[in-house]
Amino acid sequence: MTVTISTAKNAQLEAIDESGWGAPFKFFQPHNPAFWVYVIGVGAGALGMIKYFGPALGGTYRLAVTSGIVFFGIYLIPWLIFLRRQNRYTAQPGRLLATGFVWGAVAATFWIALPANTALLEIWTKLLGPTGASTWAAGLSAPIDEEWSKALGLILLIALAPRLIRSAYDGFIVGAFIGLGFQVSEDVLYAYNNATSSFGVGQLESSLFILAIRGFVGITSHALFSAIFCAGVMWVLGRAPGERRVGRGILACLAAMCLHFAWDDASGLFGWSTFLVVVGPYLILMPLAIATLLVVRRLASAKERAWMRELLAPEVETGVIDAPLLDAVSGLHKDRRHFGKLVHSRHRARHLVESAGDLAQEIAAAGGQETPRVAHARAEVLRLRRT
Amino acid sequence: MSTGIPGWVPVEHRWFGLDRRQMKPALFVLVVALLLIYGWPALNAIVPWDNPTKVGDVLDLGDGATAVPPVGWQLEDGALVSDRTGVSATNDNVKLVKAGTTIQMTGAAFNGTAAQFLDQVISSEDPDADISDTPATFTTTSGLVGVVRSASGTGGDELLAAFKMSRTEPAAAPALLVEVAAVPGEFQQVSSEVDTFLRSITSGANE
Repeated sequence: MTVTISTAKNAQLEAIDESGWGAPFKFFQPHNPAFWVYVIGVGAGALGMIKYFGPALGGTYRLAVTSGIVFFGIYLIPWLIFLRRQNRYTAQPGRLLATGFVWGAVAATFWIALPANTALLEIWTKLLGPTGASTWAAGLSAPIDEEWSKALGLILLIALAPRLIRSAYDGFIVGAFIGLGFQVSEDVLYAYNNATSSFGVGQLESSLFILAIRGFVGITSHALFSAIFCAGVMWVLGRAPGERRVGRGILACLAAMCLHFAWDDASGLFGWSTFLVVVGPYLILMPLAIATLLVVRRLASAKERAWMRELLAPEVETGVIDAPLLDAVSGLHKDRRHFGKLVHSRHRARHLVESAGDLAQEIAAAGGQETPRVAHARAEVLRLRRT
Repeated sequence: MSTGIPGWVPVEHRWFGLDRRQMKPALFVLVVALLLIYGWPALNAIVPWDNPTKVGDVLDLGDGATAVPPVGWQLEDGALVSDRTGVSATNDNVKLVKAGTTIQMTGAAFNGTAAQFLDQVISSEDPDADISDTPATFTTTSGLVGVVRSASGTGGDELLAAFKMSRTEPAAAPALLVEVAAVPGEFQQVSSEVDTFLRSITSGANE
């Protein structure tokens, strides 16, 4: 018995070390060159942003820009709630995710993608002619410039938090936040551009129109593409033991870029059918993008789920957590649904899963040691199991 | 287990106070970012335009509206009728370039007259621009009536022309803005081509 517990405890300590869970994230790292590149990127992006929006804020297009910021600021809330729910298993700290979001919103857009896209779009126009470019140039430019500009943020965050970003699922979550930042920033830019195309007439209506259009298509936009791309980057880098899968990683990156291409050039791809030009993006591309995302998420979460099981294994052996609860807290959506049926209450199941997650988090934060917080989290699990 | 104080860089890994272990990812990001930011523009600068307008070309301005471009100009944006791409009259963009002169056409949705549209354009773009106070009426060969205003300065010459793309119901019709910008001394050389081009604008087959 003693040997079994010791083995489980060793596996737990190993999981804490491998996952980096519980490690703090400190943004200000003047000794780290990645910190300075981040500061340069966000600083240059902020200057680009001021240059782009500055005249508008002080002049004719003030309403378009401010309403765009307000509308898409509100639009951000459900996204943050949704992504917070995805940030499960060995969850990433909020400050790290915020750092990624800012990179996506400021540096990836206004420092890199805007000048890069402008030049590449013109190159395609020269090579394909204006008509060919209007059909294909966006899809041949954005997946290169934008997916790379966002993924560079992940590389910087790995250098800033090497212990925290280890698994493909870490890349998936961080990528989603970088992509969300990019998406919202681009949405505000679109609201402004749409107002300029009507020379400032009906700016509020214009922003609402962009909110409706971009809000809906945003479901399968930058957050999704980046989550897939960055999971792919993590598989290529293989930062967690046994997770180096170069082929799978390259496939994931290409899948994100192909989806981005298809979305941007849907009118060209479905050009042979007027019906498909209208509905193809929603009936074909959207389900395809979501299916790809679910497959990547499932594959990427394997390591995290294994770590979660190892983290809580000693608690299973002492009877604090039973096997079905362990399956639920370390499992997929179907495991949590199954657990809900088992305890005859989705509400109670959610509380139990959350409390087991709290316990895992406290154990990781304490480095596997016994602390008052670990004891309290354990007592909470036991209290909920008794009710 | 990992040990050590977070943020403490061992002396053998220091380089001018920076952590050498994180130099590789930082440089990778910097190099890729600079390649994207400056590499594409550099490549763009060496790829020449090669899309000159030819005799018989007709620009598609959407909803059947057309214009005949001057021959030998570079068509950098916009579709020809022969392309059959389906242009939207309220979202149309055409760009023609020859030496130091650029003709930019922009379609937009606007309720009101051509003169009101031009006022809206001027007030939204640069209310303080040195643009002539008196708009002149301009009639195309097909009978479409628009307004024209011009500006001259040390930066060159500019001409703004606005049309509502319907002779019968102009108020609700799409608007078309034509902006001609030329470097100093250039406008006189292309003025007759610009005049012929503006006169060639038609409001569509249904009119």
